[in-house]
Amino acid sequence: MTKTRVGIIGIGQSEFKARRDDANYPELVREGVALALKNCGRTLEDIEAVVYSLAPDALLGIGNAERLGVDAVGARNKRFMRINTGGSTGLSSVAVAHAHIASGACDLVLAAGGDKVGESGDSQTILNKIWDPTYERQLPLGTITMLAMSAVRAMNKYGMTEEDMARITVKNRANASLNPNAHLRKKVTIEDVFASRYIAWPIKLLDACPQSSGGCAMVLASERYIKENGLEAVWITGVAHCSESYFIGDRMGKGFVADHADAHALGECFERSYAMAGIKRPAKRIDVAELYAPFSNTEFHAIEAAGLAPKGKSMAMLREGAFHIGSRTAVNPSGGTLCTNAIAVSAMVRVAEAALQVWGRAGAHQQPNAKVAAASGNGGDHQFFGTMVIEA
Amino acid sequence: MASAPAIAVVGSAIHAPRDPKQRSLEEAMYAVAKAALFDAGLSTDDLDGIVVGANDQLDGRAISIMMASGSVGGVGRDILSTPSAAEHAFVLGAMRIATGQYRTQLVVSWSPTAVNSVPEALKLGTDPYFHRALPLDELSAAALQATAIEHAVPGVREAALGIVVKNRSNGAAAYPDRSPAPLEQSWIGSGKMLRWPLTENMVSPPAYGLVALVLASAAFVKKRRLSSPAWIHGMGWATETGFLGDRDLANALALAEAARQAYRAAAIKDPTDAFQLAEVSDATPYQELLACEGLGLSARKQWRNARKSARFASDGSTPVNLSGGALSFNPVYCAGLVSIAEAANQVRGRAGHHQRKNVRRVVAHAASGFAMQYHTVVVMGADRREARS
Repeated sequence: MTKTRVGIIGIGQSEFKARRDDANYPELVREGVALALKNCGRTLEDIEAVVYSLAPDALLGIGNAERLGVDAVGARNKRFMRINTGGSTGLSSVAVAHAHIASGACDLVLAAGGDKVGESGDSQTILNKIWDPTYERQLPLGTITMLAMSAVRAMNKYGMTEEDMARITVKNRANASLNPNAHLRKKVTIEDVFASRYIAWPIKLLDACPQSSGGCAMVLASERYIKENGLEAVWITGVAHCSESYFIGDRMGKGFVADHADAHALGECFERSYAMAGIKRPAKRIDVAELYAPFSNTEFHAIEAAGLAPKGKSMAMLREGAFHIGSRTAVNPSGGTLCTNAIAVSAMVRVAEAALQVWGRAGAHQQPNAKVAAASGNGGDHQFFGTMVIEA
Repeated sequence: MASAPAIAVVGSAIHAPRDPKQRSLEEAMYAVAKAALFDAGLSTDDLDGIVVGANDQLDGRAISIMMASGSVGGVGRDILSTPSAAEHAFVLGAMRIATGQYRTQLVVSWSPTAVNSVPEALKLGTDPYFHRALPLDELSAAALQATAIEHAVPGVREAALGIVVKNRSNGAAAYPDRSPAPLEQSWIGSGKMLRWPLTENMVSPPAYGLVALVLASAAFVKKRRLSSPAWIHGMGWATETGFLGDRDLANALALAEAARQAYRAAAIKDPTDAFQLAEVSDATPYQELLACEGLGLSARKQWRNARKSARFASDGSTPVNLSGGALSFNPVYCAGLVSIAEAANQVRGRAGHHQRKNVRRVVAHAASGFAMQYHTVVVMGADRREARS
């Protein structure tokens, strides 16, 4: 197991919005980088390597757009690579930055990216192209319809209701109203959610994430560097990835390999990162969880995969007040992906927000006395999962 | 000075499907992954993680790692993708083992040619405001670089043509079934001009190819008694800026940095005669010249006489691109990872027709992006040695 402890020393996030006409793509990436460097008192010259966080090229309309971001992240003549695991890219990029340091290759690494999903035209048409061109692309599959089918299965299997889903939206929007970086910050009621139009039954407009634009960056360092420079840090104590099958059809019908109601591989992923962190009973240890859930229904199976509720029980627990700020485990106190989704960095924001919580720097959406946090990212067609444990 | 744990290449496979219309990309990926595992004497169950190098534009997908996952054994496993370059997948795979969190990694990349137009797909990599309107693709970027080199070193064209002859001859010996052609220098230099100064015979057309390598920790190599590992002595990687106009295309500063990192880790002070062979980027012969300079194998002033000295020929002291390189077989996106696999095979004594005797240490160089934006250098050897960090 890794001997070098890796800490998070700098975090930078844009104020995410639908459009950022004032900044082009590299400028948006630079925005997060500048904030993260300022946050830890470092300069670009100090950085030894950059891990670039960028999901589908097509959302930007530029092939290998990371090449144009090299100067924005100050990587010229430095170690540089890009990671893409779809929606989980942001967390995967932090994990790869962690590997740079834990392997002994570097002491100070920047993970950075940005996205302009709100300016991409039709993201669902682009995201349809993630599916196999022969069998599944012809269906009207998008990331919304894909997870609407998961919701239907959860209704059938666990009795999840549209009202349960709405409760997630109400909770997360209230949390986002406290987070100055969140995109959708207006509080809503269950009635507001029900009054919004259906996009793909049972997902309604207010059950769905926005298309956000903004940048995010994190600076990671070795324990040795942190101590030598007298820096403050929070620590990555668990990190893992796991993948599910590609074909949606393999998660449905008779003989499915994974039930589409659940997040089977996410659960395995959490088990791996908890094992690395030495966490055996997550429901008793995790104070705050930033779980990638772009639609209200998916937060339930993410909570259960994280071991914070038994399977099928998270809806009842939410009704009884669990998962709010101030409860045993706050889930998505930032408002989560449901309120801000700049795809290339959404999962990095999960890690950043988890880190801010255990650091005690989350501001108005701080979970009291948070010491241990979990974060997750989902990518592809609910296929790639990354998880992290971050401790004070 | 600290040392990272020893890591080795223990299996590899290079696959050029003869029947691309009869074999889907997924089937070819499965074949190459299985072949690399077979070469290592391992099974999918032995894999702790996978890193793929995949390019959405060439694959015609929005997140091309998705379809690869099942074919290469990713379901239920830790699988990541490095779209920046195939060779970055190798670097990441090795780093992941060095963390101590993984015993093994499968590194896979591919380069299909099914897309309607490879140049048009790659042209999407230009920035949309300044360069997209230009007729700029990877070939024209390579031609601009060749022009810059010809300007910097007058008379270098003859040496460039000689490199094509050398590599095509090597390729014909290494892989007779691929039959790279033509071999005559006069024909190569006088063919149809594609992008000045590159004639159609100074480059190789895009080819359908796949490559996979299996990496393992020293402890795993010992435990499973894996044979003939190629130990990674050092790695380096660095990038140039994205805008061609901001670069001096006749110099590769990022390559110098990548080589510095790799040689430092491998404790190599003078690379001139440090290797029994080198596999380097040669999408154009001018790239091979820059690569040899950046790796410290030849000084610029020697370029024009390089062919006379025959040092880099197949029977020279440091053969360069014994495999034939990309000038013989050019799977555009994964050519760099193929170079690393070829170099590893030489150390492992498994290079086939083009195996050189008594190979103890090699250097592999890979470049990707417009006019060699990304550079990666890997030093491997037969002796187990930890890379210094």
